[in-house]
Amino acid sequence: MKRVVAVFAAVMFASVAFPAASMAADAYPSKPITAVVPMAAGGSSDLLARAIEKFWPKYSKQPLAVVNKPGGGGVVGTEGVVRSKPDGYTLYLGYGSGHDVVMPSLQKMPYDPLKDLVPVSRVSIHSVVIVTGAKSEFNSIKDLVAWSKKEGKPVTTAVSVKAGAVDLALTAFGKVAGINIVTVPFSGGAEATTALAGGHLMIGGGHPSEIIPHIKAGRFKALAVALPQRDPTLPDVPTLRELGFDVATWGSIKGVAAPAGTPKEVVKYIDDNIKKICNDPEFLKLMASLNQPVLYLGSDDFGKFMKQATADYAKLIKQLNITID
Amino acid sequence: MDIFSGLISGFSIALTPINLLFAFLGALVGTAIGVLPGLGPAATIALLMPAIYVIDAPVTAIILMAGIFYGSMYGGSTTSILLNLPGEAASVVTCIDGYQMALKGRAGAALGIAAIASFVAGTIGIVGMTLFAPKIAGLAVGFGPPEKFSLAVVGLLMAVTLSGASVVKGLVMLALGLLLASVGLDPISGKTRFSFGVIELQSGFDFVTLAMGVFGLGEIFYGLESAIKTEIVTTKVGQVWPTMKDWVASRMAILRGTLVGFFIGIIPGGGAVISSLVSYAVEKRVSKRPEEFGQGAIEGVAGPEAANNAASSSSFIPLLTLGIPGNASIAMIFAALLIKGITPGPFLIVEHPDVFWGVIASMYIGNVMLLVLNLPLVGLWAQLLRVPFGIMAPVIILFTAIGSYSIQGQAFDIYSLVGFGLFGYLLRKLKFEPGAMVLAFVLGPMVEGSMRQSLLMSGGSFSIFVTRPISLALIGLFAVLAISQSAVTLRKRFRTTT
Repeated sequence: MKRVVAVFAAVMFASVAFPAASMAADAYPSKPITAVVPMAAGGSSDLLARAIEKFWPKYSKQPLAVVNKPGGGGVVGTEGVVRSKPDGYTLYLGYGSGHDVVMPSLQKMPYDPLKDLVPVSRVSIHSVVIVTGAKSEFNSIKDLVAWSKKEGKPVTTAVSVKAGAVDLALTAFGKVAGINIVTVPFSGGAEATTALAGGHLMIGGGHPSEIIPHIKAGRFKALAVALPQRDPTLPDVPTLRELGFDVATWGSIKGVAAPAGTPKEVVKYIDDNIKKICNDPEFLKLMASLNQPVLYLGSDDFGKFMKQATADYAKLIKQLNITID
Repeated sequence: MDIFSGLISGFSIALTPINLLFAFLGALVGTAIGVLPGLGPAATIALLMPAIYVIDAPVTAIILMAGIFYGSMYGGSTTSILLNLPGEAASVVTCIDGYQMALKGRAGAALGIAAIASFVAGTIGIVGMTLFAPKIAGLAVGFGPPEKFSLAVVGLLMAVTLSGASVVKGLVMLALGLLLASVGLDPISGKTRFSFGVIELQSGFDFVTLAMGVFGLGEIFYGLESAIKTEIVTTKVGQVWPTMKDWVASRMAILRGTLVGFFIGIIPGGGAVISSLVSYAVEKRVSKRPEEFGQGAIEGVAGPEAANNAASSSSFIPLLTLGIPGNASIAMIFAALLIKGITPGPFLIVEHPDVFWGVIASMYIGNVMLLVLNLPLVGLWAQLLRVPFGIMAPVIILFTAIGSYSIQGQAFDIYSLVGFGLFGYLLRKLKFEPGAMVLAFVLGPMVEGSMRQSLLMSGGSFSIFVTRPISLALIGLFAVLAISQSAVTLRKRFRTTT
């Protein structure tokens, strides 16, 4: 009980005593770290961040506090981190999301997601899964393609947001399969899956964390995964490539980043802690229950991976001639 | 497990000292943030998340968060009535007649009836939830984009009827509200609109900032003008309790508001707001003295306050039975359940009966706590009106500024708060009703998004709105209301000219 009250007080205090002027302290971290999630609370990025927030104090003497700054598809909160002091006390959780890897190929950005941020560690990849309602007549991607070609009708598709990782993967699939996929964007994955569950659209796309609960509840059937290899959270679902459609994307990547110019030893400290968390059996258990695979990469490898993923998305967008108009 | 034994076991969980304590804490914090303008339940729950990890039993954590959520619905009416400051979208309507009652020295009666209406509606809402939760949950998912569009359009029509005398002024306010709502990210194409290169505008204006500026600050600026009048309202607080006459006038309004709120609250998105609007419009229509609405009619407080509380109870239904969070606060509770290793959905009742029934039982207890907590405070809150304007005004300005800054942590929101305040002052001078604008601002994204989603689904054909039964019924309701409203207006004009 006392512990609860203490945490209450600490949280209230931490929220008031926001990062003041930072001292060049000899031992990092000397005060609580702010981790910005540029997405709304309750979404898949937020859940991942909350899981890290919970395990962080186990490996660090200072807590890590998650702050949600949604808006502008993630740009607003991320830009806040880019413009903050590179001292390791303001981090970005969710690095590698749609607005980092997809958006730069589609529109002008107020910052460069590759140059203005230092990759710290990769934690997870949220793949794009194509699903349909449990009562749908489509039992496979082949059924869907055959139906669309025979009837010549468009396939209405629920996606979380326009020009996000899900929208792009489904649009790309439609172009490769030669069928008319009409993506209907909602304001986030939860709303899109709800509309699909209500039977208002034919198919939908979503990340495993959003759709597995619906699959378990018997409302959805998973048809395919748009990853280069199968998703560990859905081992029975084939990839689009296995089914003969050459479409593979990196989905939405979830990592940690710091503003460019953050000292190397600080980046190393954070990366080491994230690595320890990613190896913690209890963390792995929690992530499994959230349907988010833990796919850790260290700072250097994650940097290379981000460059590759951004280039792959740019190539896909150019090949398929996708614009956001 | 049948309902009765489920509920008994639920009470045995909810009545343990630790759960009672957390239900009380939730109710207390909820009331406090409801009263403080700007601080909302979603932000508070997000802030408390780290504390929630520390609580071992999932049911205790959810009891706390649920308490904060429905507690804030109780507190939200307080500042609407006393200071014309709605803390959240669902209490915008309460400002209209509540504040008028306060100006007439009946603040006590308004606060009292708001608390009683909240209690009655909240409790009936939970009874409804206990009995029918799984059955009605299916109804909610039947609301796809076309149905949501039709519902939101009915909501907009209701918002215009708030404008009182002039329908034209109401329509102007409606258009302005929709225009303000279109600032920021286009929900369908993902492009930014009307941001003029300002980063902060990319996410659009914030509702709380707009409402606090237009209502609260606008009122203060207006008050500055009449420097002779040194108080916000009269020193006379008046009788604290509703009279027998008030009670007779309100009881049916409370019941109607409860029904409206319960059913509209189940629909994901905008439930509480639309329900308070619909309830207000219904009361105005059935009233024998509709001209009193906008002048301090007690039914105009009782109905909407009942509706938003019933909606807050029933919005738990889609979460607990389908795993679908309908609004931001419920989404936080959804996240907390997941972190605790519980997946909300159809299996929740079977796999975690302790959580399902424990939370429901604690909501019965919480509502009683809220009534006990709030009724004695009515007199105290009403005393606030005795504080001289010279002290009260700067305090309100400070609190609204903190409130608006705390939402996104950016100074830009404070500037827009002041801008909206000046605009609100102008509206008061020109006798426009800002309620219609603020509500159009809330409904705007729903109207636009669902309309464009529907048209994408239908390949551009508008027939989608009339070929689906629920949508057709709502469009029909809209037509009937619009025609009868115009008939009333025309008849009035005819009478006055002859």
